[in-house]
Amino acid sequence: MQTPEIFWTVILWMIGWGVLGAVLLRRRYLARDLDTSNVPFAGAMAGAALGPVGVGLLWLRTPALSARLTTALALLAVVLIAAAFSFADPENNCVANGAFRASQITNGIIIGIIYGFMALGLTLIFSILGVVSFAHGEFYMIGGMLVYYITVVWFPDAGPLMGVLGACFIAFCIGAVFERAMLTPMYTGKIDRPVEYGILATFGLAFTLQYFVQAMHGASPVKVQRFVDFPRLRFPDGTETAWVTTSRGNLTLFETVSISNPRFVAAVTCILVLLALLYLLHRTWTGKALRAVSQDREAAAIAGIDPNRMNMLAFALGGMIAALAGALLVQAFSWLPQVGAIPAMRSFVIVVLGGLGSLPGAFVGGIMVGLVEAAGTGCIPDAQKAASYIPAYGMIVLTLTLLLRPTGLFGRRFSSGMHGQGG
Amino acid sequence: MRQVPNIAGLGLVLFFAAFPLVYTGGNYDYVMHVLITGFFYAILASSWSMLAGYAGQFSFGHMAFMGIGAYGAALFSHYFYLTSAPTGTCTEVAFFGNWLVIKNAIGVTSTTLTQDCLQQAIAGWGDSVQVWRMPVLLGIVLGTVAGGLAGLLVGLLVLRLRAAYLALFTLGFSEIIKAVISAEIDITRGQAGMVLPALFDNGVVILGTEFSRTDKIPPYYAMFFLLLLCLLILTWLARSRFGLFVRALREDADAAAALGVNTTRYKVFVFTITTAMAASAGAVQAHYIQIVTPNMLFLLQMSLVVAMAVIGGVENFVAAALGAIFLQIMLELMRTSFSIGGVAVDMTVWRLVFFGVLLMVVLRFFRNGLIAPLIDYFARAGMAEETIAKRAAGAGETQP
Amino acid sequence: MIHLKVTNLHKRFGGLHVLKGVNLEVNGPELIGVLGPNGAGKTTLTNILDGAIKPTSGTVYLNGERIDQLKPYEVARAGLGRTFQVTRSFRRMTVLENLYVPALALGHMGQGRALTDRATEVLEFLTIDHLRNEYARALSGGQQKLLELGRLLMLDPDVIILDEPFAGVHPRLMEVIYAYIRRMKSEGKAIILISHQMDAIFALSERLIVLNFGELIADGKPEDVKNDPAVIEAYLGRDDEEEDAA
Repeated sequence: MQTPEIFWTVILWMIGWGVLGAVLLRRRYLARDLDTSNVPFAGAMAGAALGPVGVGLLWLRTPALSARLTTALALLAVVLIAAAFSFADPENNCVANGAFRASQITNGIIIGIIYGFMALGLTLIFSILGVVSFAHGEFYMIGGMLVYYITVVWFPDAGPLMGVLGACFIAFCIGAVFERAMLTPMYTGKIDRPVEYGILATFGLAFTLQYFVQAMHGASPVKVQRFVDFPRLRFPDGTETAWVTTSRGNLTLFETVSISNPRFVAAVTCILVLLALLYLLHRTWTGKALRAVSQDREAAAIAGIDPNRMNMLAFALGGMIAALAGALLVQAFSWLPQVGAIPAMRSFVIVVLGGLGSLPGAFVGGIMVGLVEAAGTGCIPDAQKAASYIPAYGMIVLTLTLLLRPTGLFGRRFSSGMHGQGG
Repeated sequence: MRQVPNIAGLGLVLFFAAFPLVYTGGNYDYVMHVLITGFFYAILASSWSMLAGYAGQFSFGHMAFMGIGAYGAALFSHYFYLTSAPTGTCTEVAFFGNWLVIKNAIGVTSTTLTQDCLQQAIAGWGDSVQVWRMPVLLGIVLGTVAGGLAGLLVGLLVLRLRAAYLALFTLGFSEIIKAVISAEIDITRGQAGMVLPALFDNGVVILGTEFSRTDKIPPYYAMFFLLLLCLLILTWLARSRFGLFVRALREDADAAAALGVNTTRYKVFVFTITTAMAASAGAVQAHYIQIVTPNMLFLLQMSLVVAMAVIGGVENFVAAALGAIFLQIMLELMRTSFSIGGVAVDMTVWRLVFFGVLLMVVLRFFRNGLIAPLIDYFARAGMAEETIAKRAAGAGETQP
Repeated sequence: MIHLKVTNLHKRFGGLHVLKGVNLEVNGPELIGVLGPNGAGKTTLTNILDGAIKPTSGTVYLNGERIDQLKPYEVARAGLGRTFQVTRSFRRMTVLENLYVPALALGHMGQGRALTDRATEVLEFLTIDHLRNEYARALSGGQQKLLELGRLLMLDPDVIILDEPFAGVHPRLMEVIYAYIRRMKSEGKAIILISHQMDAIFALSERLIVLNFGELIADGKPEDVKNDPAVIEAYLGRDDEEEDAA
């Protein structure tokens, strides 16, 4: 970086006005007795994007903060950071190299889809049970481990499809059994602090699962062959720059953007399963019952839905989704019993960013986190420091979101009445 | 009957106070080490139980404050020195006729340890200039203060957050601290860790007996007295109005405020005091094991503390402390691997599986932990009979 | 002399105008009943008086001190106490500890022996002395209501707001609450009683105010208010109030 001072000055300027905007405008809106739920976030974004002008305008006009306005301000802030960065470091790979940029963005979206999918499981559990599952990373881990054990150790003849289905099935069962055995007392009102109890219980499950796998398997990393090979293809053939070319392990768009086979397969599978899940939630009785319970347990119970069964289903489904994400990514990364920690943290970031309990929020949040991580790994000059800091960036986003807008960026489509805010 | 817990507690204190002097079995140093670590976890578990069990603030960042204490002490002893002459190259200020020297950060690249400004100056001076390390105790105090200040800040930030949101925020805070320590290799030496002087680096004389820096007895008593001090402070707090108010806060913050309790102040206060305790434990432990690494801050460490507190009884800090000591001993006892029918069982991992299952079983079936109900049983002995007797006696007059 | 003065109180929630200029003056020991259909603004008024929310405009003075910008605990210390519609006892604390919270928070009842005696006296008056060492969660719903009233006795405020004190209470305990209200009155306190139970309100209050759509539509003696045409209109066709009482 040639002139880092410029960049850090801009960042400090943005942070300063952002904090000021969040604090001052909240007071202003409170004094005028307007709805303040969006104000800290919008104020921070206005301060970051437009500095004193943005804060001043909002202060004087106190407009209703629509989602469109907030989004525009947030985008402007992002553009500003990008501009400051490219100005400060014009020779950086992600400023100077357009192909690299396109590749980073595409891969960011691809991996973001998988992140979002995994976070979806967490948010599903939260919207029905009101519990933040601390075992989500462990479900992810056993998903990958099970694929390895099924396709490599136990049944070497079984195809990857069997491996993935088997992993999903077993994770579903573990989730269901755990929910029955451990979480049922939460619903009877016998526990004074159900939310904390749920957190501790899933914490215990995470602990047990992780060390169980470590004890059974040991600490050696495993990897699984990629599930499918692409056929060799070049489309349209004969032209100078083909739109799509594939080799067995890779897919290249416009001769510039390269996507590895495992990630592509994982992302496509995630989208397909997501569509199936949406069908389940919106078109089937079970899905409608699930959504009903997430909105109002008592009313759903009166309507003849057994909320306890829905709890079990939601927890098992949520665990299964994480396991599926792991089962799909085991072909891309090497796998250890500790592998779940970082994806779990990332899922926390995503669900908080998207709004705890909001399904679309989780997905959009996942793609955003995927993009940010791609930008982080690709653009930060000091690669070693970048690698250490990437989890921290997520956590900074998480803590800031909780402080500025605890409901997340997308509100709460699936709010749960009794949970979450208790105590 | 009601005195049973007190008598038992006094007995335990006497037992642990006398133990290093009367223990004659094998592996003396190892046994002492296990107990010192047990006390360390006991401080963390009991202060966490004050925060989570009494005040209802389920923080998952307790180990981060421990780490701030440990790294505070480590950074202080690593970078601050007193010399009798100015180095000319370091940042330095005059200090009562001597010089307070702050070394420059050189990270892990310097394996030779001769590249920082102070070492270079020493090489130039020869023996003519005296160089003193900072007192260990001052480092521990500063680490404690740093942890408490961080706790104060976090306490102020989380005022509006509840339940799951608080857990996630504190977890995020903890991960940020860990990432910063891992990434700022120039200053913290990253995964390589920082080396600290021993608690009593030049040996110590207690009651006429001289102990060297590797002896376990001085750190044993240092950690033991720190634990006792923390428990005393916690007991005093719990019995004063502070304990009453933070429990009211846990039960219903709005109702407590409507009855005149300044809930903000007590919430911040309980964060500050418990995190300062965690930081002090971290600072002492850092000087005892003489190295700090970011691995101290893994979520696993936090889950150990949480599990110990829950198994002991999260709503009673004495029970949490006892739970921590006993579980630490138990975990060490279970380390021995064995083989059944030719299948080797690696107990170093299986014991943790057992621990996780124990945590879940206790959560599910013994909600108040294993030790707290015992204490409660004796402390509340006769209460039910009293209720019944009073009702019988008062039935005639008070019924309208 | 107790003096609570509410002047031109407005409260807006976004576009919703919940309180539209409420004026109220309470002088000395007085028992005021508050009536109003659901959504009339009773709870909002209570929350503003208690300090839980701030008014959009208007002022509240208690004994000459402005309290509308204070925090709830400062309002409690200034001399205004309240109960909650849904009982909010400290469930995992003993009955005695529940009573000690307000007494120690204000520190006006001393400590040790004096405090215990005072708490015992309160518990005996409320007929729950035998439960003093039980956890509050072991108490029945009605007993918990009494405990909440007991905490108010220990807070010893000048103005007391009772939000639905009779909801879900056994008739026998109801007598105790009646006695409690009369005692508070005789101790010279101002009591604001919010209830859906007309019989209780008319039996107890000396003055009745009626809120409707954020406005005070009647203020006067119960029998006058009863025949006030505005009140009758506000309640016309709405005789289903009881079902909301719980």
